Amino acid sequence: MKHRSSNRRNFLRIGIAAGATALIAGGGNVLSALSVAESKETGEKMKLLTPEGKLVEVDKGHVCCQPAGNLEARQGLPDKKMVMVIDLAKCRNARKCLQGCQKMHFLPPHMEWIKFYLLRDSEEMSPYWFPKPCLHCNNPPCVKVCPVGATFKRTDGIVLIDNDRCIGCKFCMAACPYSSRVFNWEEPKMDKGVNKAAYSPETSSPPKIGTVSKCDFCPDMVRKGELPSCVTSCPNGVYYYGDKNEDAVTNGTDTVRFSELIESRAAYRYMEELGTEPSVYYLPAVDRAFNYEVGFEGLSDEEIALYKTEAKIKE
Amino acid sequence: MYEDEKTQQNLHAFKPQLEKMSNKGVALIVFLLLVIGFGMYALYTQIVDGHIVTGMRDNVVWGLYIVNFIFFIGISYAGALISGILHLLRVPWRTPIIRMAEMITVISTMIGPSYILLCIGRLDRLPNLVLFGRIQSPIIWDVIAITTYLSGSIIFLYLAMIRDLAILRDNPVKTARWRNPIYRFMAVRYKETTKQKELLNVATDLLSIVIIPLAILVHSVLAWIFGMTLRPGWHSTIFAPYFVIAAVYSGTGVLIMVMWVFRKIYHLESQITKIHFNYLGIIMIILGAMYGYFTFSEYLTSWYGSIKWDMDVLYRLFNPGEYWHLFVFAVFIGVLLPIIIVTVPKFRNINSIAFAACVAVLALWVKRYLIIIPTLETPLLPIHDLRPEYVHYSATWVEWALTFAGIALFILLFYLFSKFIPIIPVVRTGEEKDYSRLRKIVFEKQMKKVIRQHKKSDAVIAGIVLLFILVSVPRAMSQDENRVQPMLKLEYFHVDSSQILTATLQAKVEGRFISLPGMEIVFKFICNGTETLLGKEITNGKGRATVAIPEETLATGGDKGLYSFEASFAGNDRYDAASVTATMKPLRLELSFFQKEGEKMVNLKALEPGPGNQWIPAENLDVVFYVPRTFSLLKVGQASIVNGQTSLEFPTSIPGNHLGYLTLTAKVEENEIYGNVEVSGTINWGKPLPPVNTIKRGLGDTNAPLWMVYTLIVLLSLVWFHYMYVIFTVLRIRHLGKS
Repeated sequence: MKHRSSNRRNFLRIGIAAGATALIAGGGNVLSALSVAESKETGEKMKLLTPEGKLVEVDKGHVCCQPAGNLEARQGLPDKKMVMVIDLAKCRNARKCLQGCQKMHFLPPHMEWIKFYLLRDSEEMSPYWFPKPCLHCNNPPCVKVCPVGATFKRTDGIVLIDNDRCIGCKFCMAACPYSSRVFNWEEPKMDKGVNKAAYSPETSSPPKIGTVSKCDFCPDMVRKGELPSCVTSCPNGVYYYGDKNEDAVTNGTDTVRFSELIESRAAYRYMEELGTEPSVYYLPAVDRAFNYEVGFEGLSDEEIALYKTEAKIKE
Repeated sequence: MYEDEKTQQNLHAFKPQLEKMSNKGVALIVFLLLVIGFGMYALYTQIVDGHIVTGMRDNVVWGLYIVNFIFFIGISYAGALISGILHLLRVPWRTPIIRMAEMITVISTMIGPSYILLCIGRLDRLPNLVLFGRIQSPIIWDVIAITTYLSGSIIFLYLAMIRDLAILRDNPVKTARWRNPIYRFMAVRYKETTKQKELLNVATDLLSIVIIPLAILVHSVLAWIFGMTLRPGWHSTIFAPYFVIAAVYSGTGVLIMVMWVFRKIYHLESQITKIHFNYLGIIMIILGAMYGYFTFSEYLTSWYGSIKWDMDVLYRLFNPGEYWHLFVFAVFIGVLLPIIIVTVPKFRNINSIAFAACVAVLALWVKRYLIIIPTLETPLLPIHDLRPEYVHYSATWVEWALTFAGIALFILLFYLFSKFIPIIPVVRTGEEKDYSRLRKIVFEKQMKKVIRQHKKSDAVIAGIVLLFILVSVPRAMSQDENRVQPMLKLEYFHVDSSQILTATLQAKVEGRFISLPGMEIVFKFICNGTETLLGKEITNGKGRATVAIPEETLATGGDKGLYSFEASFAGNDRYDAASVTATMKPLRLELSFFQKEGEKMVNLKALEPGPGNQWIPAENLDVVFYVPRTFSLLKVGQASIVNGQTSLEFPTSIPGNHLGYLTLTAKVEENEIYGNVEVSGTINWGKPLPPVNTIKRGLGDTNAPLWMVYTLIVLLSLVWFHYMYVIFTVLRIRHLGKS
């Protein structure tokens, strides 16, 4: 029941917010964006602030919705610094974020850009669920080692992969301490429509055999002023996403000041000691909304057993 | 030229090798070609089906190929270091083995890098390494270092061959005569004149000086591919010297094995004697002891420090169910057995030293496996995967086929090369002593055949059945039986100057609200019982349809200042019809900014139509202040309107743009009388954004740090300058030969 009611609340608030910011928010998936790529005028308006402080209203088609080209995608979105805050106290391993992500990026079921761990720091402590997308490090070990610059750090903090340039040496996969990267070991089985769509590093679609993929922080959605699918798919509002330069993050329902959130909830970055400076912040699992065992719902016995072994939980 | 007895004797002994091919030799070549052919088939499979045919997966991204890569680059040390150092020190017994060592270098430096190519998912994009190469990447260091090293090794081998090429030019071979012009060309008119001899010696000395640091650098760079990552078991400062020592150790081992083989097949007992095996054996065990010392130091440091991740890797290595047996072989047997065999006089003979070398080489191959695989199987976060092949690496037939193809190619090239030029330098310059006369050759018994088996016990999780997680099983929605009553919501938005109506169509299906896209919504304005059509709009992906309220509608003044609108949905075969009306009163919001006692304030006025076209203050209104952000509105305050106005402290701590411009939006939300009304204003009172960093140089940036660029340029120009000088010297030798 909790799930349903939060959904309704989501709907109401999003409706109001969307109506106000951009008058009308368009249908939000990659396909719709691709389909309007041809026609420049979308009829949908969007407000922009000029550097001189004037508010102007422009057609969405002029500022977004065109998949960025390979070179254009190397530039970050101006003046942005995207960050994510993950509230571990609210995660119950529902995996809706992954489903949303896979749907949005047309990924096959086994290709997981978000991974779920049941962590337990020591045996005296209580296990907690730990969803992990790419952490988009500010000092990314993967970008350092790429021999051809196929993976790169943008000014807006996003680490992307140009699958047209990647030679598939997998060095970045070996270098990533967070196991965030996956490889296209065989020809990706795709819908014909997806394969025909123009490739953009910002949509990471269509994927290419023999190259590396990972969570891309959805810059194509940011261009449209929309939230990544993981954020909107989460029934519990675990993911907050936003622009650090604006000092605001939102989980689709609540919009809060980034600085206040990470201060009041004592946020931390995973394995800060590695010096990778991630863009993803975690809020510790205090005052949890769920018992960790709720997260076993719907999992196979083998997987539950594996999680229990990893978290050293004895029967 | 070269009329001395020893040289003539050598020529007489070696020429038949170049001229005749035994049946066994032909059989060997056919067999090797078959193995290579099978490897090519495996490669074809890998290119057509993708890397899925290998045992490599998302965690163990590198497998046997990288192991073989390190192995072959490692044995290439034989030539570079052994022959380079022995040459520079003028070690008298070096002559018979020096060419073999150099050949090992050239051949293995050609085969090694092809293994790294096998690891690459997109061979078609190799030109990118040149087009977009980043010198911050150790892979680019490797590409540069190995090509430079291979070029140097080829020149070095060639320099050492010139005298023999000259003698072959003077004594042409009688079979496969097409070789004779090649000998003639390659001999560069070398006639052993004093000047030519001097030039050749200088060139050889120079190159052996250059090749030693270069060889050390090549293997260090290779170690840095692993050392630069943040992986337990790899991220170690001693990795470069450790790899260098391990490489020379295995290189010496391979050299002893090659000596043993050619001694047997070409009957070189008088040339390669026990003393060569003894001396090389001693060099080998010294290196073996150093390798053991590095290994001990590496694991002791990890274990003593006991960082969690290091311990995870150590646990695998010391776990009898995983890598313990391989570890014992690679680290204990691979070091101790050669030391025992060589140091105990009773065990020391040609065959046993060759066997010890063989053990050392195998152990070193296994050690490379233990460096690569257990570390990749132990990422910092646990591998959470139910597919056993993603958890444990197990090489497939494709990888094994290509491994054996590489070994076969090594043997084949070696064998063919020994048919082109004598495997032992024919020309004796007189500076070496003939050890065959000093010592009697002792024929050893054939060593017993040793069966080596190493098991890989990764079947621990092999029993787990492959399971795919069903993402979701959507229940089939019941059709036709129950029609659904949709919910239609009509909202009025007054944003700055534009006024719009938004209708949202939703339905509750299976307990969840879903939006209904693609439905037609009819908007009407109702005034004094008359209906005016405002428009028909189709709902979007979020079930929303929007129409603007025209000026003339607002100009009518409505029904005593109240405006009524209706939105209706006609229904279809699944959803019932629905309609909703909304009545609102216009509200005018005015936002202004002012400063009071140094405080930056916002003032909001709310006015509603009063009698006689007057705007009068509105009362009993709640208003919320927001700052628009990329995805949503950030709430910064709320207030109630009293006497038609309210004020708020401006949120100066919130970032604006570079000039500090920040937009503030005041909203009346879902008010029963006024609907949704909002107004925005912008002022430069926000926190200005710091200026954007300009282009940087760094490891993660497009441009490399300058010191790195300079170092690379200096090193490369130093090495290539020497190469050029040596090539120039060879050309001078050729020129001198004219006269």
